Amino acid sequence: MAVAIGAVRVWRQSRILGQAALLLLRRPGAQGLTISHPHRQQEQQFSSLDDKPQFPGASAEFIDKLEFIQPNVISGIPIYRVMDRQGQIINPSEDPHLPKEKVLKFYKSMTLLNTMDRILYESQRQGRISFYMTNYGEEGTHVGSAAALDNTDLVFGQYREAAVGAAYAAKRANANRVVICYFGEGAASEGDAHAGFNFAATLECPIIFFCRNNGYAISTPTSEQYRGDGIAARGPGYGILSIRVDGNDVFAVYNATKEARRRAVAENQPFLIEAMTYRIGHHSTSDDSSAYRSVDEVNYWDKQDHPISRLRHYLLSRGWWDEEQEKAWRKQSRKKVMEAFEQAERKPKPNPNLLFSDVYQEMPSQLRKQQESLARHLQTYGEHYPLEHFDK
Amino acid sequence: MAAVAVAPAASWLFRLRAAGAEGHWRRLCGAGLARGFLHPAATGEDAAQRRQVAHFTFQPDPEPREYGQTQKMNLFQSITSALDNSLAKDPTAVIFGEDVAFGGVFRCTVGLRDKYGKDRVFNTPLCEQGIVGFGIGIAVTGATAIAEIQFADYIFPAFDQIVNEAAKYRYRSGDLFNCGSLTIRSPWGCVGHGALYHSQSPEAFFAHCPGIKVVIPRSPFQAKGLLLSCIEDKNPCIFFEPKILYRAAVEQVPVEPYNIPLSQAEVIQEGSDVTLVAWGTQVHVIREVASMAKEKLGVSCEIIDLRTIIPWDVDTVCKSVIKTGRLLISHEAPLTGGFASEISSTIQEECFLNLEAPISRVCGYDTPFPHIFEPFYIPDKWKCYDALRKMINY
Repeated sequence: MAVAIGAVRVWRQSRILGQAALLLLRRPGAQGLTISHPHRQQEQQFSSLDDKPQFPGASAEFIDKLEFIQPNVISGIPIYRVMDRQGQIINPSEDPHLPKEKVLKFYKSMTLLNTMDRILYESQRQGRISFYMTNYGEEGTHVGSAAALDNTDLVFGQYREAAVGAAYAAKRANANRVVICYFGEGAASEGDAHAGFNFAATLECPIIFFCRNNGYAISTPTSEQYRGDGIAARGPGYGILSIRVDGNDVFAVYNATKEARRRAVAENQPFLIEAMTYRIGHHSTSDDSSAYRSVDEVNYWDKQDHPISRLRHYLLSRGWWDEEQEKAWRKQSRKKVMEAFEQAERKPKPNPNLLFSDVYQEMPSQLRKQQESLARHLQTYGEHYPLEHFDK
Repeated sequence: MAAVAVAPAASWLFRLRAAGAEGHWRRLCGAGLARGFLHPAATGEDAAQRRQVAHFTFQPDPEPREYGQTQKMNLFQSITSALDNSLAKDPTAVIFGEDVAFGGVFRCTVGLRDKYGKDRVFNTPLCEQGIVGFGIGIAVTGATAIAEIQFADYIFPAFDQIVNEAAKYRYRSGDLFNCGSLTIRSPWGCVGHGALYHSQSPEAFFAHCPGIKVVIPRSPFQAKGLLLSCIEDKNPCIFFEPKILYRAAVEQVPVEPYNIPLSQAEVIQEGSDVTLVAWGTQVHVIREVASMAKEKLGVSCEIIDLRTIIPWDVDTVCKSVIKTGRLLISHEAPLTGGFASEISSTIQEECFLNLEAPISRVCGYDTPFPHIFEPFYIPDKWKCYDALRKMINY
């Protein structure tokens, strides 16, 4: 008796679902849905007494054993690398075999960035600029990924959802561009990341989500940021192809980004790259990280596993670099940064009138009145303002 | 007299329900809107008990002559027409949001996906911050993004994207980048039974945000022209659509595209004794108040539809108050911090010596928008009339 009732219930469900499915298929655009989404295929055949799940929400088999899926944080998603910590290629078939000029450009970009960081950090300490954030230890993630992109690709330094929108527009325009969006493991906790991942996957956008997991969000260590297996493990939850790479291995970053770029554009789908690295410097000039981590920990990364050192070993072992060139380049890059800095320092700041520009494309009349009000105020009280540093 | 159309929409949705695909039906029922939108008004005492009479009477404007052939349209049809014109003219334009693909819960996007394709009219996941953030990204590349937030009550998850990203995009990049081709449209305002989360008028939150424009139409003709202006405007715009007018407001609307300028208030009736300012549905309430004032008090009212909340047309309101000496502003949104306070503050600064009486604000109470108490909450014609009377006798 129970079996008969069960059978009738299944049959009735299938009938209703069948009608709903027919309606869905007749809906405009339903044809398009069948092409890309794997779940849609199951709507096409309904056998009324089939014991397969019919739920539109998941494509899966039944199981009759109660079992919770265990999140795997002990042996998480493996970390792809090409070079060992001494800069030696581990698996020759993964060597990108980049020409000397390109690899030297990698090295010079990373070291120039490092030099600029030192000079600008110091200048903040001297009161010459108000605020700075260094990149110490993460140079490999920036340079390796940027090198894998085309000049016309779009780069978003944050703004995950906007990056997805830009990718969608690029797809519509057949622009052959990828969008890359950088963010840290802390920013990955924001709702923006969830929204960005989900939209990118459902709307089939050519985008690379590049997460720099450097161990800290200001003072918050990763153990307080998430409990799962980092950021790479979230990708599959959204239906996104994901990889974890050694962010201190510029070739691994390069290879992964290059392949992600090729496929994102060719297949119109998002990719997630989690680049593991370490933030050697403080969060910013407003932070003193000795308050929350040991000097020993920082020194380990600085001395034993640094993206610049690893690439230097690679260059040295190939005879593409030596101590003399290193000394000359250090001097040259310092000079470059100092000259640019001094030139920028000499320029006066823009006229205070420009405070009111670009709020809208055109200036509304009420705003113009406020602009005039400030101008009149400065005529009378100008001595109390640092006008000498600003354009007249 | 509020027109209630039993549109083809009703039968389509009944079929959908019958087929067992209950999602859309459930959402509408949960919203409490199904009754108002799908069941035709029954006659007799029954109707009075089951459904309150609307607190306003929609007043159509005379048929516009200068824009070519017109067609009878209600508010949602005038929106569809504007969207249709936009997608036809601008190949980069796309429309997206929750449930827009099948036509939208208020039928504003019916037929557009069939006509323009699934890459141009598409659903997004249920995530307002994503919808707006995504829209910003499209706009940054120069394409036209028309985002829908299903109810203005749900716009708050997108508040950060609107205020911190969209509004500041041009300013923070020194005009290197902008998202001016973004328009966000959203159903707005009381609907008779919308309660806390289907009745809100959040324009005041956005009025405090330089960099965006906020526009609210009173009628189908106004809606189409203003929406087209928003879409073409080179700044991110929010366009709030009074949902109670979607079916109730019917008038002749040009079929071809046309523009109504933003940041220009409209004096829809000239008068000499009192200036009445409102926007959206409330314009029809104050119209009736003006007739009552004329009839019972012999008072001549000048009625202004503000249309754009920011940047707002200070000059038109000033000019009117200089003439009349009295100002009454009315909106559904709560009194404290409502946009009437901005108008009041500016007008007393600019027109202090012209004022014969304190400026009057007739607004919703400082409570969440109530469910069963809605008839007591809204700034109806009696409250507006009473405030006007006190102002005249000041």
